Amino acid sequence: MTKFLAVCSTGLGSSFMVHMNIEKVLKELGASGVTVDHADLGSVANGDADAVFVGRDIAEAAGHLGDVVVLDSIIDLDELRTKVRDAAGRHGVAVQ
Amino acid sequence: MLTQYLDERTMLFPDRVDGWRDAIEQVAAPLLADGAITREYVDAMLTSIANGGTYIDLGYGIALAHARPESGVVRTGLSALWVRPAVLLNDEEAHPIRLFVCLAAADSSAHLAALAQLGQLLTDEAARDALLAATDPTTALAVLTAGEQS
Repeated sequence: MTKFLAVCSTGLGSSFMVHMNIEKVLKELGASGVTVDHADLGSVANGDADAVFVGRDIAEAAGHLGDVVVLDSIIDLDELRTKVRDAAGRHGVAVQ
Repeated sequence: MLTQYLDERTMLFPDRVDGWRDAIEQVAAPLLADGAITREYVDAMLTSIANGGTYIDLGYGIALAHARPESGVVRTGLSALWVRPAVLLNDEEAHPIRLFVCLAAADSSAHLAALAQLGQLLTDEAARDALLAATDPTTALAVLTAGEQS
């Protein structure tokens, strides 16, 4: 099972929105076998997820978390679509 | 669900906002007034932003101002403040904000349904534009209500 994790500083605001939107995009892409969750930056360790999605402002602070996907906007679905598709490709998740 | 929190009392259209600090004070005011948050929560948001917490900028001129539940949240609440012209979050050119949404989450799950709906609304381009263009609580409420029904 591949895991995508949305991370923000508090773990309850923007990361949750990103979490919801990743699920939405994965569904659109027809991808299966991916779990999605959200968390705060302080509680995440490298290896907790296959890909970690963060906003631009904490990109540097999240740099140690492995495959970090940096989002310019938290609510831009087009951007997220492209980046989720790319991440799925990197982790061997089949998409339509 | 959203309109349970965002109503004519918690959606604000002030004539004047003096920078991002004033925006945070103003958007938090209704939550402070009805006891959903304490003064500590307002200070926590201000401190967080001043320390570089511009991650609350969701994009498209919308910021989701919030701090941790333990920093002074009494019960879950939401409020919103429309700002014209935009103010710069933490005085940074890269973060002009036209709409501040203040989130007070009493714990890490109570607010999720409302936040999910808000997220859905803000990622819908037409709804987002309509919400940003609102000029009074009535028009904003109409956008939220339409979002709840879709």
